[in-house]
Amino acid sequence: MPQPSQPFVRNLLLSALDAESYAAIAPHLEPIDLPKGTTLIEAGVPFTHAHFFNSGIGSIVISTADSRRVEAGIFGREGLSGFGCLLGVDQGPQTTMVQVAGEGYRVSIDALRNACRQSNSLRETLLRYVHVFISQTSYTALSNVNQSVEGRLTRWLLMCHDRVTGDDIALTHEFLSIMLAVQRPSVTTALHMIEGYGFIKARRGNITIVDRDALIDFADGMYGTPEAEYRRLIGPFG
Amino acid sequence: MKRFYLHQKIANGIIEDPDGTEAVDLAAAKRGAILAARQLLANAVLAGVAPLGTAFHITDHTGQLLSTVSFGEALPAGFMVTA
Repeated sequence: MPQPSQPFVRNLLLSALDAESYAAIAPHLEPIDLPKGTTLIEAGVPFTHAHFFNSGIGSIVISTADSRRVEAGIFGREGLSGFGCLLGVDQGPQTTMVQVAGEGYRVSIDALRNACRQSNSLRETLLRYVHVFISQTSYTALSNVNQSVEGRLTRWLLMCHDRVTGDDIALTHEFLSIMLAVQRPSVTTALHMIEGYGFIKARRGNITIVDRDALIDFADGMYGTPEAEYRRLIGPFG
Repeated sequence: MKRFYLHQKIANGIIEDPDGTEAVDLAAAKRGAILAARQLLANAVLAGVAPLGTAFHITDHTGQLLSTVSFGEALPAGFMVTA
């Protein structure tokens, strides 16, 4: 299998690795398409692969027994799925799915663990990403109790914008309502308000970011710290 | 399952529902509209502002009006807002 050359890899975590770390993992990277809706990890089922996205967005979702769901976190080209294996566990209670189609690399859990044993700097870089992800979920908790639906939606749109190319985000109101765990008309109304301020344009199945700086102001401090942690600890992002 | 659209009546127009939601029948769609209205009312109360909307017009995919749920109907029984 040809190895992807590091300068051409678009996953930001892989491209931020030093040469020794990259050499430890590169032989195990298999290119893979990531179609929308694909389940990468099922709750309560042992991990088989981790996925480094080059494009697209993955979503980590937690559900009640009667299928009420909320999104716990998102990742894209800055991260990887299945990082629980780096923490010495073989499965978790969350489901990981592809919410915006993309492509990337997958690596078997055994190969990833071996590569981390071989390269301490690889393990440390990936664990720094786990820290950034925990920072993101911490801010999600803060946002959920402190922000209006418009504020939460704004933060979430900014997080998606960081992970897509261009200014268009292809998502339905129904999907957004599941991710934010609100009634769908709350999403429609919040989009109507944010569009009224001139920050976005909402069309059927698509949202265009018009004024990112204004959205960041509107998010009122709930967006930006985990992203700054990524830049401080790993490399360029957003 | 059928798809129902909850178009929200506001002071100067309508906020259109572009996607709709699946429900088994109109009664289930109306229950969904009541839950949605409660959330919109609660959001407005928490934000300290008047709610934007006053009712949902429930339509099918052709735009045919099937029912209207006013936000007043969404208030729980015994919920009193009086001076």
